[in-house]
Amino acid sequence: MTVPTDTPPAAHARRSGRTLSASVGNRSGTGPPVYREHRYLTWVVLFAVIAVAAPNLATGQADQLSLNVWLAYGIAGVGFYWVFGLAGRFAFCQTFMMAMGGYMSAWITLKLGPNWFLVGVLGAMAVTGAIAAVIGLILSRAQDFYFAIGTLAVSEVGTVILTHTTSFSGADGSTVGIAAPEIFGYAFNSYLQMFWLSLAVLAVVVLFAIFLERSPVRRHAIAGRENATVARSGGVPVVKVQVMLFAFGSMLGGVSGALLGSINSTVNVNSFGTSLAIGIFLMLFIGGIGSAWGPIVGAAFYVAIPQVLSSLAQYQKIVYGALLLAVIIAFPEGLVGALRNLAARLTHRRPPVEPGATLVERLSSVLPTGKRRENDAAAG
Amino acid sequence: MAKFVALLASGVAYGAILMLVSLGFVVLFKATGIVNFAQGDLVTLGAFVAFWAGSSLGLPILATYVVAIVGLFFCGVIIERIAYVPLRKRPPIVVVIATLAVSVMIEGLIELWQGSSPKNLPSPVGTAVWHVAGANIAMQRVVIVIVSAVAVTAVLVIFKSTSIGRQVRALASDGETAQLYGVRTRAVSVGAFGVSASLAALAGVLVAPLSAIDVTFGFALMVNSFSAVVLGGFVSLEGTAAAALGIGIIQQVVGGYFLPGYSDTLPLIVMFVVIAVRPQGLFALRSSRL
Repeated sequence: MTVPTDTPPAAHARRSGRTLSASVGNRSGTGPPVYREHRYLTWVVLFAVIAVAAPNLATGQADQLSLNVWLAYGIAGVGFYWVFGLAGRFAFCQTFMMAMGGYMSAWITLKLGPNWFLVGVLGAMAVTGAIAAVIGLILSRAQDFYFAIGTLAVSEVGTVILTHTTSFSGADGSTVGIAAPEIFGYAFNSYLQMFWLSLAVLAVVVLFAIFLERSPVRRHAIAGRENATVARSGGVPVVKVQVMLFAFGSMLGGVSGALLGSINSTVNVNSFGTSLAIGIFLMLFIGGIGSAWGPIVGAAFYVAIPQVLSSLAQYQKIVYGALLLAVIIAFPEGLVGALRNLAARLTHRRPPVEPGATLVERLSSVLPTGKRRENDAAAG
Repeated sequence: MAKFVALLASGVAYGAILMLVSLGFVVLFKATGIVNFAQGDLVTLGAFVAFWAGSSLGLPILATYVVAIVGLFFCGVIIERIAYVPLRKRPPIVVVIATLAVSVMIEGLIELWQGSSPKNLPSPVGTAVWHVAGANIAMQRVVIVIVSAVAVTAVLVIFKSTSIGRQVRALASDGETAQLYGVRTRAVSVGAFGVSASLAALAGVLVAPLSAIDVTFGFALMVNSFSAVVLGGFVSLEGTAAAALGIGIIQQVVGGYFLPGYSDTLPLIVMFVVIAVRPQGLFALRSSRL
């Protein structure tokens, strides 16, 4: 009996008596993700580097604005990673959630005053989370395209409603004159101050993302997206996990929108259209769909491309589209995945196999039964 | 009465346009299992190609239509080459995102080529109107209905009773078995992308004379034709065609009478309800597979 070369870890793990809970829908046969790495240190270093380097490098107003927009998009991107990357739900309404969060926060702070900013953000999270939970439950039986198109409908209808509700979202869906946010009496007036605020929010988001990565939710989500039927029969509450991640991810969209509203001091429904929706895909795919790192790296690229290629401003849409296409074709695991593989090759180590890191693994709903039997035989 | 007739006429004409766009989706989906999110931009591109052929080449109106339809066939083939062939082994949803990328590229190209100011495409029947029951109906709407009816019938007949139609239906029902029986998947997928893009171009040149065309003009059409496609369950051609007509009428008549500001949302609401209640579509049988 031969063990297929690409599947030894599961076999070894089972032989050595280590328990691997529910190897559901795992194509590579390495078992579900076991959280081994302590990434806190990496993240702390990364944030320290950003905190030291970014304000010193970006001295001009325009650069600081781009930095803030990057952080805000990164937050929305992490949210979309939960929805699309982890839960495997092809949601088309993340930009609508951003718009909704922006309006909600702006409405609260315009009504109550800028020192209610935190309440505004909480309001943005509450409303986006609630909308997403309801939509997620209603569409819980809809798969891939149907979920995508259903959420596209939500997004389109919501946009039309937002342009009509003048008392909530301003004339023609444009709220202007959002004051600089204040927290406990401290006002974040300049772009630099907004940078610190956004960075702090992103840090909280990343901390929560790490908790989520370590929790059973991640395993349940992966099991559910790989093969919902098998996961369900294995006792995984698929709908609950998917709706929860959809709600959490949309809440981050809301937070991102609230920050963007404060950064730009306006919210306009037109700036959350299809281009930004494509942008969010771009962020996730450039960075890599298999980790929470990906969208943050990807958002940096998304914001930096127009700066670097400013002479090509008229080609911007073509560049974005071509880039997205090229990344999908050439780097299925995104830049983070490509770099990780390169590093592994340089150090002559096997690349760490993250189940679901590649899209092929991520979205296949059919188990290769032949290979699974081989694995079982190898294990037994 | 006059208002009702006018609304009904625009509803039927709009439904006929949705029929063309959504049949493009279904043809492609049956042959390849892909939903092309660039379909809306192909509608726009078709209208712009016809505009360019008329204004820059000085061709007569009907010739510009032929240029648009033939040109878009080749655009469809190019899309198949760059966004589908390299991703053949990847899950369909990745291809969907690739077509989204193509859609942004098409928008960028149109802006670069024709600028972002709205254009007007002339109608072959000019500004003629048809007076019926007190209502004035633009002759163009009559043209839309007749041409769409002919095109849709042609597609249905091709699907039902030609060899190519049988091959596509075989691929749709069981791809692997169809391949075993010698259906040339690759040739069929090229053809399906081309035909689907040509249907989009036909919709574009037919609907463009009713309003000005700009870069985003096809997007709303695409989103609304999703409703028809969902009602037809992505597989039933007749069901999709009927649903498209129904949705056009609902949007114009119900929207025109009761919800003037929100009529664009009606198809989407119908679609959302259908997805929630019957996620597999009204005309499709449920099938599941482990």
